[in-house]
Amino acid sequence: MTAGELARRLLFLIRRRQHLDELDEEMRLHAELCNRAASRKFGNTTLLKEKSREMWGWNWLDDLAKDLRYSLRLLRGNPMFTGIIVLTLALGIGANTAIFSVMNAVVLRSLPVKNPQQVVYIHATGQPHHTWNTGIWGWSMSTGVYEQLRAEHPGLSDVMAYVPMAFGKAAVLYGRDPEEASADMVSGNFFTGLGVQPVCGRMLTDSDETNHTAVAVLSYAYWSRRFGQTCSVIGHPLYIKGVPFTVVGVAANGFEGVESDGSTDLWVPLQNRPGLNAWGSESDKSFYANPQWWCIMMIGRLRPGISRTAAAARLTPIFQRAAYAPLGGKPQKGEKMPTLAFDGTKGIPGAKEVYEKPLRVLLAMVGLILLIACSNVVMMLNARNAARRHEFSVRIAIGGSKWRLLRQLMAESLLIVAAATALGYFFAFAATRAISRWSALDQDFSPDRTVLLFTLAIMSAIALLFGVAPLRNALKTPVNLALKTTAATAYSDRGRMHARKVVIALQMCICLTLLVAAGLLLRTLQNLQNVDTGMNTQGLLVFGISPQQETRSGAETIRFYESLTNRLRSLPGVLAVTLMGNRLGSGGTNNTSVYVDGEHPRGGSGMVRWNTVGPDYLATLGIKLEYGRDLRESDSANAAKVALINDTFTKQYFKGQSPLGRSIGISSKIQFTVVGVAADSKYAGVTEEAMPMAYFPYKQRKGIGTMQVEVRTAGNPTSFLQVIQREVRQLAPNLPLLQPMTQQAQFDESYAMQRLVAWLAIFFGLLAAFLVATGLYATLAYSVTRRTAEIGIRMALGAQRGEVVWMVLKESIDLCVAGAVVGVPLALAASRVLRSILFGVKPSDPLTICLGLVALVAVALVATLIPARRAASIDPIRALRYE
Amino acid sequence: MAPDRSSRDEIPPGTLDLLILKTLSRDHRLHGFEIAEAIQRISADVLRVEEGSLYPALQRMLLKGWLKGEWGKTLENRRARYYTLTRAGQKQLEHEMERYARVSTAIARIIQPA
Repeated sequence: MTAGELARRLLFLIRRRQHLDELDEEMRLHAELCNRAASRKFGNTTLLKEKSREMWGWNWLDDLAKDLRYSLRLLRGNPMFTGIIVLTLALGIGANTAIFSVMNAVVLRSLPVKNPQQVVYIHATGQPHHTWNTGIWGWSMSTGVYEQLRAEHPGLSDVMAYVPMAFGKAAVLYGRDPEEASADMVSGNFFTGLGVQPVCGRMLTDSDETNHTAVAVLSYAYWSRRFGQTCSVIGHPLYIKGVPFTVVGVAANGFEGVESDGSTDLWVPLQNRPGLNAWGSESDKSFYANPQWWCIMMIGRLRPGISRTAAAARLTPIFQRAAYAPLGGKPQKGEKMPTLAFDGTKGIPGAKEVYEKPLRVLLAMVGLILLIACSNVVMMLNARNAARRHEFSVRIAIGGSKWRLLRQLMAESLLIVAAATALGYFFAFAATRAISRWSALDQDFSPDRTVLLFTLAIMSAIALLFGVAPLRNALKTPVNLALKTTAATAYSDRGRMHARKVVIALQMCICLTLLVAAGLLLRTLQNLQNVDTGMNTQGLLVFGISPQQETRSGAETIRFYESLTNRLRSLPGVLAVTLMGNRLGSGGTNNTSVYVDGEHPRGGSGMVRWNTVGPDYLATLGIKLEYGRDLRESDSANAAKVALINDTFTKQYFKGQSPLGRSIGISSKIQFTVVGVAADSKYAGVTEEAMPMAYFPYKQRKGIGTMQVEVRTAGNPTSFLQVIQREVRQLAPNLPLLQPMTQQAQFDESYAMQRLVAWLAIFFGLLAAFLVATGLYATLAYSVTRRTAEIGIRMALGAQRGEVVWMVLKESIDLCVAGAVVGVPLALAASRVLRSILFGVKPSDPLTICLGLVALVAVALVATLIPARRAASIDPIRALRYE
Repeated sequence: MAPDRSSRDEIPPGTLDLLILKTLSRDHRLHGFEIAEAIQRISADVLRVEEGSLYPALQRMLLKGWLKGEWGKTLENRRARYYTLTRAGQKQLEHEMERYARVSTAIARIIQPA
């Protein structure tokens, strides 16, 4: 076909109405002239027009349109049936799209930057002895390493650095009200290296880094949320931790930084003033002046054609030289030098490792649900097509082609699948938003192009399946059936009924597996919720405060916290107030080698977990004081150094002797006297094992900065937020409350993954049960209809209603038993996969499996109820009159 | 078959395009009925184009770009689609003529008495 021909063909399609009218007119003239000539006769106009039109090759499109229109009319004619199958499929497709969408965002999606496959996180296998670290072990580098790699980077085209300005969020002030935002300090080439363009203003430059310019770039999301997408924000001042910055640009839409724990709101060049230290540290020395402090995270771009391992190998010697430069140039005896490792930027680092496995499990669950949904729909379509055999045979008898019939059935399938996909995609949008909220991962899980392709692939597969399903109906319709059909013979197809039963039994077995999985995860969730945290979280509110260091010395900070806690204590309804360095349940802990009576203790792990806390710590949190005393306001900087320890500490390092009066420490220099022993309580999260733990008074430790304030209230803790905010504002007008929430909510967040997975699994289990119930109901109802005459005869011969009910019930019980026999081993095998996600329950937990079986039987009984009653209410006389 | 058609011959297969093209190249601008009439007249009533083949053929040739259709008025002031030959149609005509000549010579050779 030539280009001109194609163009004319398309033009015909576009202006077909006009073309057909013209053809019509032409024929009319011809016919008229023929009549006048009398010698000629004009043939069949319609046929002629049809044949002329055929020349343009668009007939298939007309036919398709016709088939679709007919199908649409048919489906609209039976809205109940159409609604059920579309909804069934939409739930299956929606669940798959939603879970895949989350999987895509957490595990598969690349950073929205230029050539993301070249971008790598620069990690190390460790760091030298006698250096310390903030952040994630193996992810942090020293300034020396950064500067050296920045200057010398064979194999990489760019090396970028990023450092959070706080653990969590930093205090920001724009206009009047203080607020919090996640802010990173980055190298000057951060945006150019990643290839992220500005939407407004400019991005950062190398000179911004060298001069430590006080300028800030906003993320698109933050800019939209907080500044209403107006470019006029550029040039305005914005205070970060009390330091004025000028907004100079907004980054491209979609780029939310490279941090693992959520999106970044704004970026500034690396700063060298101590007040804006790395990770919001309260050290009075900037990280630039601290060569042994490993706190900088790095990301790089591979040169084209070089592999990750090759590039890492080439950079490692440079890295090692720089790493040991401040330590005399070489490692200690027996120390193994760390090497570099490059990780790709696919997925969300941190979350990827935690969520990948549960997501795979969920993906398998929704896959099975889709299977159930599809088999239900196929069964329903087949049942309906069987009921339409009369129509089919009439159509064929009067000369319709089987191909035409098949084409029409396929058009119907296509319509159903398309509608279900559209609806399912819409479900997925809503679902991903909800999942994002529940997951405690501050991430956007909405479907993107990859997800759309995935959904379309599912849709094509289903459409194909449904296209093949009616093949039998279309091809096996005997012409003479039209004359013979009666109510009974039309439905008599033993083979088909048998196939349905096999499908139902398989569905039951899948359903049992899903119910058991859901049950195990529900038990896990219950166990997590019922974990004894060792304290009373009821009425406990927690928020962070980050005093701005530029204006404060250590003593001033302590005075600030003293007056803050005193003010809060005086509020009506506030029962007690205390402070702590690491927030309980947030995952952050301090772990250090312990000294007992000046020496490393023998036995045990040799480690201690510790926290810096305020006075009345145990009393405020409701942790049991075993013996000795709680910390007091009087445990000040000048007073004798004291500490609390927990039961496990006593057991491991004091072997049951009284620890009171003994000294412990986390360095050889400063020793603290043990004044009290507390019962074990949870620290990092609810699932942790008890560890040796020490509490030190905050006034007796150096470098106090951001603290978490715990407030015990009488009543609903969150209702106190406003009063507390007002009180804090009076003391320090520019300080926002950082991440305020109830302590219980904070603990709940520590098992957010398990909670999310459990909720989703329960939802999917119920969905599976619902789908199986509808499938079973439809099958039994169909079976009862089919056997109406038979039941009528039985009753006429004296069968009791109870026997009839039993007959239907038995059918359902048989299916249930068959499903359970195959399902129990399958469920046992499948639940082994869950082992790593479970908490406090074994995968083979007999109680859960029993409950799963009970649930399955309940589902079967509910689905049987209506058909059984209908069977029992059959009137023998009327039933026999059908024949 | 209607009895009045029995005396006429069918158009040999594959030559309809040639006949239409040739007719248009001679008379330049005709509508559908005129083309049929012209073929019948010039062939001295031997060849007769049925409208059942004429209009599909015209549509096909429009699609191929050999013909151009323009709406005009007949002498009786009726609207009609007038067909003219395009450059591509002209070429196609030459091509068809050549082919016809080749085939008819070959046929003539076969049926000539030896």
